[in-house]
Amino acid sequence: MELIGNILYDTIYHSAPIILCVIGGIFAYKANVLNIALEGMMLNGAFVSVLVTYLTGSVTVAILAAIVTTLLFGLVFSCLGITCKGNVIVIGLGINLIVPAIADFVLKRMEIANISLQNVSVADFKLHIPLVENIPLIGKILSGHPIITYFAFIGILFFTVLMYKTKFGIYIRVVGENEDSAISLGIKTERYKYAAVLIGAFCCALAGINLSMERMAMFTNNMTAGRGFIAIAAIYCGQGNPVASALYAILFGVARALSINLSVYAGPVSGLFDIIPYIIMVTVLAVVSYTKYKNVKVRGFKLD
Amino acid sequence: MNKKENVIKTMLNSVLPIVLAFFIGGLIILGIGENPLATYGLLIRKSLFTAKGFLNTLHYAAPLILTGLAIAITFKANIYNMGVEGQMMFGGFFAGIVGAYLPNMNSIVQKMICFIVAMGCGMLFAFIPALLKAKCNVNEMVVTLMLNYAMVKALEFLTTGVFRDKEAGYVATPTIKDGAMFQRFGTSRITMFFVIVVFVLIIMAIIMNKSKLGYEVKTIGKNAEFAEATGMNVGKKIVLIMLISGALSGMAGAGWMMSDQFKFTLSFSGNPGLGWDGMLIALLGGHSPIGILVAAIFYAALKTGSDSINLYTTVPKEIVSIIQGMIILFLAVKFIGEHTNWFERRKKKEEESWS
Amino acid sequence: MRSMIQAIDLTKKFGDFAANDHINIDVKEKEIKCIVGENGAGKSTMMNMLYGLLQPTSGKILIRGKEVVLNSPIDAIQNGIGMVHQHFKLVPSLTVYENILLGEEINLKKGKFRTPFIDTKKELSCIEKLISDNRFELNPMDKIEDLSVGGRQRVEILKMLYRNVDILILDEPTAVLTPQEVDQLMATLKGLKEQGKTIIVITHKLREVMEIADSVTVIKQGKVVGNVKKKDTSEEELAQMMVGRDVVLSVDSKRKNKIEDEIIYEVKELSTRNDCGKEVVSNISFQVHKGEILGIAGVEGNGQSELVKMITGLMESTSGTNTFCGVNVTNWWPDKLREIGMGMIPEDRYAQGLCKDMSITENCISGYHGKEDVCRHGILQKSKIVEKRDTFIKEFDIRIGNIEGNISCLSGGNAQKVIIARELAAKPKLLIACQPTRGVDIGSIEFIHHQILKFRDEGNSVILVSSELSEIMSLSDRVVVMCKGQITGEISPKETTTASMGLLMAGIHKKED
Repeated sequence: MELIGNILYDTIYHSAPIILCVIGGIFAYKANVLNIALEGMMLNGAFVSVLVTYLTGSVTVAILAAIVTTLLFGLVFSCLGITCKGNVIVIGLGINLIVPAIADFVLKRMEIANISLQNVSVADFKLHIPLVENIPLIGKILSGHPIITYFAFIGILFFTVLMYKTKFGIYIRVVGENEDSAISLGIKTERYKYAAVLIGAFCCALAGINLSMERMAMFTNNMTAGRGFIAIAAIYCGQGNPVASALYAILFGVARALSINLSVYAGPVSGLFDIIPYIIMVTVLAVVSYTKYKNVKVRGFKLD
Repeated sequence: MNKKENVIKTMLNSVLPIVLAFFIGGLIILGIGENPLATYGLLIRKSLFTAKGFLNTLHYAAPLILTGLAIAITFKANIYNMGVEGQMMFGGFFAGIVGAYLPNMNSIVQKMICFIVAMGCGMLFAFIPALLKAKCNVNEMVVTLMLNYAMVKALEFLTTGVFRDKEAGYVATPTIKDGAMFQRFGTSRITMFFVIVVFVLIIMAIIMNKSKLGYEVKTIGKNAEFAEATGMNVGKKIVLIMLISGALSGMAGAGWMMSDQFKFTLSFSGNPGLGWDGMLIALLGGHSPIGILVAAIFYAALKTGSDSINLYTTVPKEIVSIIQGMIILFLAVKFIGEHTNWFERRKKKEEESWS
Repeated sequence: MRSMIQAIDLTKKFGDFAANDHINIDVKEKEIKCIVGENGAGKSTMMNMLYGLLQPTSGKILIRGKEVVLNSPIDAIQNGIGMVHQHFKLVPSLTVYENILLGEEINLKKGKFRTPFIDTKKELSCIEKLISDNRFELNPMDKIEDLSVGGRQRVEILKMLYRNVDILILDEPTAVLTPQEVDQLMATLKGLKEQGKTIIVITHKLREVMEIADSVTVIKQGKVVGNVKKKDTSEEELAQMMVGRDVVLSVDSKRKNKIEDEIIYEVKELSTRNDCGKEVVSNISFQVHKGEILGIAGVEGNGQSELVKMITGLMESTSGTNTFCGVNVTNWWPDKLREIGMGMIPEDRYAQGLCKDMSITENCISGYHGKEDVCRHGILQKSKIVEKRDTFIKEFDIRIGNIEGNISCLSGGNAQKVIIARELAAKPKLLIACQPTRGVDIGSIEFIHHQILKFRDEGNSVILVSSELSEIMSLSDRVVVMCKGQITGEISPKETTTASMGLLMAGIHKKED
């Protein structure tokens, strides 16, 4: 029972940053700008938030700094990719390489291997929901998560509404599906693409803060460990639908929670458990693509 | 006339991002109170302008040329094989294992076996995303990126567990046998491996520029629908291209293992890793074999030079990685193509309005 | 009558090339103006300037007598100009009402407060009223992807009417409609005219011009060559103005040899589904004899594309067989089909026929790049390829500016000739020609028709798929008509009228005797 409780708690815990990346990345996906810089942007959020807390001691300033710098990366991405019409995949990879390089550079300069925050306690960020907290088992699972974790789950709902019930959402989808149609009615398509990328950057910043400061109060380089790419896989699996994509993100959380909680019993093989979530995501992606593709009778690929 | 113009444009498109990246890098160096020009001088003086240093640079360029080629052939076909890093590590790891555990024999045969095993591993690892792409149209980029992480974790497990050399003071696999090692020529680090790489480069140049396969790769990259309509069987070709890419990556790993590392450690590939460097090189070299050769040497010079920065200045050598990232970022945009592109786009519009 | 739109010395240059050269045009209030001209004459360029999609190099545009500068479609719409494009600008996954209201969404109001949400109910009722006011047949809740081409066009028209435009520009509106749908459109346009709208129709179909136009402007090579009232002109005169010489509108398809009994190609009970699982070709069977041209007619989007894709190996069938010269070639890949002796002129020239970003030379061998004459041991023989290209250019009279340039520099007609040269050079026994003259100038059309007939006279067979009825009727020996993925009839072109053909295209079977 204890074990199941732990697994469920961990599922929520580990899903949160990926959900944030997913709901952020979905807008870019729908606007037909593939943002694979989610990974780098998330790492930036993680790094800057911890670094600034370490230097200034102020969590508020740190969070602001993390969001602003990540938005700057979003701006660089959009500027090069949308305005200058560069290859967005290459730009994304460039950002994914620059961010850890900067982190490395700064850490080396400070002559430390990683930053751990002494004056911040992880417990401070945990939100204990009154009433719910006291329900046996469920209280333990649902309560006591960092604040941004709750944001992530509320975000699913919020972004679904934004995507399907507002002008903004319709325009984003139109820009991605038939840009000509948008242009012919005078919709400023570039603006919406910028907005889509920046929403992604904002969510990634939150995901990064959640990952480093809220959960561990420390930063080690490459701590994002491909979560950004997993988010992209989840978006592909859910075909850009916020709820479906978020469910795939949660699936990753389940895999991760299982591998952590079960590895205790696995002895020496436990090292291999880390692979499981990645393999599961590849398998899921393959199955989803297969079911979509098996009815296609037209031969050939649209490589884009 | 037209061709000359094109060559100049392509070269400018590669040089401008470098200049821009170095300029911004220079600002960062200034920001921490060092002299950028002196730092950049240190970076390339030894590695490019002394005989021994240059030979060392060539040595470091060797695996980069291979990973660069591995990426270039897939990029040219508009397939994003981001798994070169994983394929290279996989190949290098098992080349190391085979080199260490296989009994001593004729050293040429021994090396051949290592290479074959490594290339096999690379191909096997590239085969998974290729097959998924060809059969189910799964996005190969996402798959290869995720499999990279899986591979790093798996190799970490194998290195710390099953294949750990208990006598070494740190996490590593056993050292490979002498017969599997490439011997250095003279005092520099360069080995026979570089010669093999140049040979492979020439073969790849012929394949990419002159052969039927090269023509097909180019066509698939330019217009996959057209390629399918003209009977190129794109699905099968994608698998083939990925296998070639995997073999080249595996070979890079084996060569790196047998000419430099001699055992697998957790930092075997360095940071950001030979596969990622290969991507920079492929982009910088404009996917052409000659360009890749030049780009690989240039980048290897930076990498070897970065050690001297660490020795003589307070600038962390990670500045090179930052510059690398920025070069990639700027390479994505065609600065000079802008005008020609713009012109073509107008032409396109004109055609559309005609039809 | 006052002028609604005037263009004075309107010029548009692309580089050195003048697509529009000092165009003068005057459209009166409440008239239907037809602008005619060949492909590439510059009609669409002009309309795109009137709609703000392109900006003129020089010249003026006057609307209701006042000079205006149109920087974007928004400016045009504000000046009361709306445009229905040839390629519809609709979003397939959205519904009819969402498409009509795109850019003009109605927000939900709570009292005086405007919420960010969309008021779906109000939007729906608003569009329902618009549809019934205009007596269109449309369900506002349908998704665009489920609509027929005619339906989509009506949505485009409504989109403009909702924006209260009084000048409506239609670019090649009839290209994709059935004859019956064309009649319906004509009626709609006349109705709109009676409501007081001014309408500009761009077309190259002279029959339709004669039916609806009040006045006609003819454009040739970017210049206005004629301004006439409909009642003062004839179809022949317009054609003569368009091309600049007398045009023989029919082809001499007299054959020298007889069709033989031998069956070259046979399709039996062929079916396939599209990506959504809907059957788009069902149970099609036909035979092609040696020395015969078989025409496949039908309104676009009735399964011809898919049928051709199956024949040329670009799509898999779900059931049925294809036989070529006695060999079962069902679901073979294109490379094998070419090897066995089938030549293919694909429907979409720049998607399947040519690679825009590659040189003319490279395009001359694609599909046959593995053949021994250009490729030894996997290495391409450059000199042989150049030789081949030069033969093509000479034999097919391909006009090229820069011989080392990209194929995209060629005009539509010359590009098409490259494909035909490439396919015929391999000496196939069967040629599948899909829309062989689409977007091609009249001179090239004559040349291509001549090549197809010559190929037939050499004792080969042709499957000709075209949405140009006149082409099908004048070239084919036998025509099968398709509608909704099925064959609705087989006719002999010499004994059939366009009207009865139209019925078959609309899926109305003749009663069997």
